[in-house]
Amino acid sequence: MKKTFCKVLALVMCLAMISACFVGCGGKNDDVIVIGLTGPLTGAASIYGIAVKNSAQLAVDEINAAGGLNGIQFKLDMRDDQHNAENVANLYTGLMEDGMQVSLGTVTTKPGLEFKNLSKEDNVFFLTPSATGDAIPEFANGYQMCFADSNQGTAAAKFFNENYVGKKVGIFFKADDEYSTGINNNFKAALADSFKADLKEASFTGDASTFDSQIQTLKDCEIVFMPIYYTPASQFMTQANNIDNSITTYYGCDGFDGIDAIEGFDISKVPQEISMLSHFNSTATEGPAADFIKKYNDKYDEAKEPLNQFGAAAYDCVYAIYEALKIAVENGKEVDGKTSASDMCEILKEVFNSDTFVFRGITGKCTATEKSTISWSNDGTVVKEAIKYIVKEKNA
Amino acid sequence: MEFLITLVNGLSLGGIYAMIALGYTMVYGIAKMLNFAHGDIIMVGGYTVLLFLSVNPIVAIIASMIFCMLVGIVVEKFAYKPLRGASPLAVLITAIGVSFLLQSISQMIFGSAPKFIVIADLGILKIGELAIGYSTIITLACSVIVMIALSVFVKFSKTGRAMVAVSEDKGAAQLMGINVNSIITITFAIGSALAALASVFFLLKAPTMTPSFGSLPGIKAFTAAVIGGIGSIPGAMLGGLLLGIIECFAQAVPAISPYTDAIEFSILIVLLLVKPSGLLGKMRREKV
Repeated sequence: MKKTFCKVLALVMCLAMISACFVGCGGKNDDVIVIGLTGPLTGAASIYGIAVKNSAQLAVDEINAAGGLNGIQFKLDMRDDQHNAENVANLYTGLMEDGMQVSLGTVTTKPGLEFKNLSKEDNVFFLTPSATGDAIPEFANGYQMCFADSNQGTAAAKFFNENYVGKKVGIFFKADDEYSTGINNNFKAALADSFKADLKEASFTGDASTFDSQIQTLKDCEIVFMPIYYTPASQFMTQANNIDNSITTYYGCDGFDGIDAIEGFDISKVPQEISMLSHFNSTATEGPAADFIKKYNDKYDEAKEPLNQFGAAAYDCVYAIYEALKIAVENGKEVDGKTSASDMCEILKEVFNSDTFVFRGITGKCTATEKSTISWSNDGTVVKEAIKYIVKEKNA
Repeated sequence: MEFLITLVNGLSLGGIYAMIALGYTMVYGIAKMLNFAHGDIIMVGGYTVLLFLSVNPIVAIIASMIFCMLVGIVVEKFAYKPLRGASPLAVLITAIGVSFLLQSISQMIFGSAPKFIVIADLGILKIGELAIGYSTIITLACSVIVMIALSVFVKFSKTGRAMVAVSEDKGAAQLMGINVNSIITITFAIGSALAALASVFFLLKAPTMTPSFGSLPGIKAFTAAVIGGIGSIPGAMLGGLLLGIIECFAQAVPAISPYTDAIEFSILIVLLLVKPSGLLGKMRREKV
């Protein structure tokens, strides 16, 4: 009896598995253009992925409510890669099977490096909101809405050269992370020689979270440049409180975004100033950025799923793709839910690479009334103006 | 001066590793299994502290120790006890399964976003040029106390001696009237309570929690236990302290700090080549 039951159970499970394979094969709606992407919706980097998902969905909903692309609706299909490159191949296959025609790539760099190789094969256009790696737009189908690492490192060094002359500078980076080492190398290359005699460097790898020794190395610095994500940064800042130090400022790149939103982390307990290089002012009170922030917070729970520049960039990405498709349609191209990913890629590339395509977005330097101007180089990198964003002033 | 500070930091980190390593080594010595879910008991301890922190930090620490003991006992009763006598591989896979189970449960309850936890703001002790955080000193002191207490318990109490007997020869111990099952349960309870205590000190140092934050100290402590000789209680202490010191000194030198983990594990490999049973482990002849 028990054996028969087991056999039946095994059979049922087999059938369930087989049928699961066909789930994605259902008829695809011709009137829907599918935008696919992967990003961390769970895990330590989920704050980025969730903001991207919410913001991209917001843009899609707005576009659809306004009639879509001449009646053709958009659909967002986002999968959870947990900021883990190993997950990307499966997720990508799933997205393609479910009809992805155009993509926002990945939210973070490490999975993105996998994604750009996969998408090259199928010639899928992607415009990533926040995968900053220099190699992300390596192939003709890849574009970035965020600054590439080399730009971030160089822009940060430029800021140091202009504003921190004569200060002792330290660097704290993650030695096994493409994002962190990429920015760090470019930062050091562009940093003025006057800093270099006293330049101190410390690093960590993996999930390490105890930084006593590294803080000892950097304790005499005044400005600590941290091209890392906010979780280890918050650890460093807290642990530095237990060590006598002369640090006055922590300066980070887009990885700092969200540092003021870690549950339980009281940022005022960090006596130092915390600043970051950014392309979005998430405390804007007027202008297009502020309008977007309001729309986001009306729809989503600010406390649980806070907005950051990743989200803002994703919002811009969806609109940029929409605008580009609109131009293509005006130029006589045919675009709908049946257009293949490869055809879509050629159409979009033509628009993005043309000298006349200028997108007006909420990231970059907006004024009180005007949206920023954003365009793309032919190598897929973005051209727009950076802003310095002070997360927290130095305690008095 | 730098040297001294790094040494103290290393000792206090090592103390934390030692406390966790004790759990691995005791369970291995007595139940002859690698409890890979031990690292996640640290995580359970951390989240329990978070829940009770609003009441009082001391209450939270005690609550966390008690709760982890219960979790340890429950895990042992439901996951490991039915497998007593099964192949070591089956037990190992079960332990990994329990580890994922604990992580997933806490992700369901607390979410995956990192949680920051401030157990106590302790400040810095300054003696002349020497400046060391109080948390470091307290960690070091407490880990020494715990190690001494555990050694005394194992050497002189009846239960402790029964534990040694079970680890030496399970069959003979049973013939002498020792209840092996209850000794194993007690071992899990003590190991889990130590893991909870270790989580408190770890969070004093590195105050961010995610459902998987226990794995890294868990693996490090397991390495420490193997370096010291798995199954040996003084070995776990020595291994833990050694690993903590190596880690802090490696991180203190910028040129080699990116390779800290590699250095730690290379030392493990070299040591196992030279002395396969670990520093203080006993060589056992296996009859084939």
